[in-house]
Amino acid sequence: MGELEVEKHAKYILAVEKKKDDFQSVVMEHLRLNGAYWGLTTLDIIGKLDAVNSDDVVSWIMQCQDESGGFGGNIGHDPHVLYTLSAIQVLALFNKLDILDTEKVANYIASLQADDGSFAGDIWGEIDTRFSYIAICSLALLHQLDKINVEKAVKYILSCQNVDGGFGCIPGGESHAGQIFCCVGALAITGHLHLLDKDLLGWWLSERQVKCGGLNGRPEKLPDVCYSWWVLSSLIMIDRIHWIDKPKLVQFILDCQDKENGGISDRPDDAVDVYHTYFGIAGLSLLEYPGLKPIDPAYALPVDVVNRIFLSS
Amino acid sequence: MMSKVTVDPYELLANLENILDSDPHIEEVGFIHPSQFAAFDGEGAVIPSSSTGNTFEVLDEINKPKSEGASSFENVFLYREHKLGISSLSLFLLYNAAKDAFFTSYRSYRLSSDPLIKKAAEIDVMKHSRALLLLSSDFGTAWNSRKMIVSKKSLPSLLMDELHLSALVLSYSPKSERSWSHRRWVIKMIAQKDEDLQDIVQKESVFVKTIVGNYKMNYRAWSYRCWLVSYMSITQILHELQISRDWAALHVADNSCYHYRSCLLLKIIEKMHHDHVSDCLPHVEIRRLWQQELDWVASLINRYVGREALWLHRRFLSLIWMKHLANDDDQIALCNSCADNIENVSRFVKDELIFAQQCSIVPDNDFEDYEAQAIHSADYIAWLAKQMPVSFFVELEKSSHYETFKLLLYQNGKGSLWESMAASWRRSA
Repeated sequence: MGELEVEKHAKYILAVEKKKDDFQSVVMEHLRLNGAYWGLTTLDIIGKLDAVNSDDVVSWIMQCQDESGGFGGNIGHDPHVLYTLSAIQVLALFNKLDILDTEKVANYIASLQADDGSFAGDIWGEIDTRFSYIAICSLALLHQLDKINVEKAVKYILSCQNVDGGFGCIPGGESHAGQIFCCVGALAITGHLHLLDKDLLGWWLSERQVKCGGLNGRPEKLPDVCYSWWVLSSLIMIDRIHWIDKPKLVQFILDCQDKENGGISDRPDDAVDVYHTYFGIAGLSLLEYPGLKPIDPAYALPVDVVNRIFLSS
Repeated sequence: MMSKVTVDPYELLANLENILDSDPHIEEVGFIHPSQFAAFDGEGAVIPSSSTGNTFEVLDEINKPKSEGASSFENVFLYREHKLGISSLSLFLLYNAAKDAFFTSYRSYRLSSDPLIKKAAEIDVMKHSRALLLLSSDFGTAWNSRKMIVSKKSLPSLLMDELHLSALVLSYSPKSERSWSHRRWVIKMIAQKDEDLQDIVQKESVFVKTIVGNYKMNYRAWSYRCWLVSYMSITQILHELQISRDWAALHVADNSCYHYRSCLLLKIIEKMHHDHVSDCLPHVEIRRLWQQELDWVASLINRYVGREALWLHRRFLSLIWMKHLANDDDQIALCNSCADNIENVSRFVKDELIFAQQCSIVPDNDFEDYEAQAIHSADYIAWLAKQMPVSFFVELEKSSHYETFKLLLYQNGKGSLWESMAASWRRSA
């Protein structure tokens, strides 16, 4: 029996944003920009983005920018593509992308592409297909995809495909739904989905659904609400969403809510957090749950935000 | 009424850093509630001294009473036998002190042009970042500051210190992404100067093994282990396959460890393809190895009923086996004789169908998951049919197992998907 407690979740997100007086909250400080993306996108999906003062958020985000053009997770923290994408996405939500020195940000991201087409997360050189997605998604939103070698980027991503059809973080890495979302998203944005064996990948993704209806991220693992996003958006992008039981998944997500205090957890009766609240609601949006704004599976932003970026320039 | 003892957070920080300085062999860190300190018999309980924090006192008292005047901050550090426990109640104060001290010294290090100030700041950055990372393992800026300092010097011992710190952080935070990536950075730095990495790669693989024992399917840990494979010689790969076998047999639900085996096996094939005559296995050896792995997985499947990871590993093994036997265009042929290939495929299909058929029998037994086993066996055959040429499906459709097989697929919700695939195969066959 389920209903999405929209008001409670909005209240939860707004409260979490203010909490800074215990260890659990401060120990997430270095990734606050990611937290801002999760919280604010959720608010937008449920139609409550105006509960937040956009000027305050925007000014804080810009203080997170480093002289390299990249963004750190919080003020004073080193830049990394993880936070750079979140910065771009949040500015997009508020329709404030024009305050960015697009050239500068794009140059930072493009400088992280290696010879083999892969992307590092920052100047220290850690390579991961997540960073390929982040680079491609960021640059696409900034209309600067031509700053990188797209063909090589695609080639590298495909080199990370495994025998089971999935993708890992590096060539030979275990297939993981999160990494798959990144690879499929990158291929979708650059128009290379035709290079995928969609049946093979769809098969792997459909096997993520367990008996209770939830989705896991890899074989033998417990279901987790965040995979409602990564598996679902991947299936939508490769047009195999009908290979899973959607109503069962909806029920699973709704069961992960804390109906008293708001927020969503990884699985029923666990502690809630902003991360899982976002992915649960984003997943429900993909499943066309009533009352939620539709979300773009590749850009992970509301469709109206994406349209604003691509249709009005 | 309990009187509150105010504690200077920077004094707490200094105490922590002193403990870390005094013992280069600390191997484990954990956060514990101070009520659990008593469980360690009070021996070795450390309290911050009232002086400037350069010394710490070790108490011999057993069951220190919670008397008036005692504040919850008195039992902050529990240090014994190279293991350090930190009171969970002190973490907030410690974290803020460490973060402030770190940022102050990092700013000073980066902005100062005076060599003396810079040198002093460098020592502080290393000291404070270490404490900070024990509290917040993914504080990327702290890891970066260490990379910045260490990369400017040419001392191998410094790189070893970084491996030690990341091992310490991973002892309490085994999934910490930044800790694993810092480790990878260190190995890459070592690789730049050292031709021979065999020893360190070996040690790293053993290290990962200790971490993955504690936490099932740790993705970052196993990815790190797969990454190490690219540095391994064929001898090392064969050694890894052998020594990880027993562990795998004890962890049949750990999909990551079976993926690791497939990683090692694929590397063997890749090496053959690249014609490195000195560092590859002869064809007949690879076939023997593959057959051994197939037989071993079959025995595990029969013993541990209904385990998904085992069936998935068999999918991988069977597919690679058949693809190589079938001698596709640019696939490497394991068997040079073409005429035998088609027969080998046909025989293999029949054998696999018999195997799947045996596994699809569901006896009246509540103790084992035979139902799951049956469904896995059907999924296995269906998956193979999808990857292989139509001849596989033709054999399958002819077999006595076909109807049971279809029934199992319907049970698992894959019935109509199968029918549409089968229809297109019949058209093309």
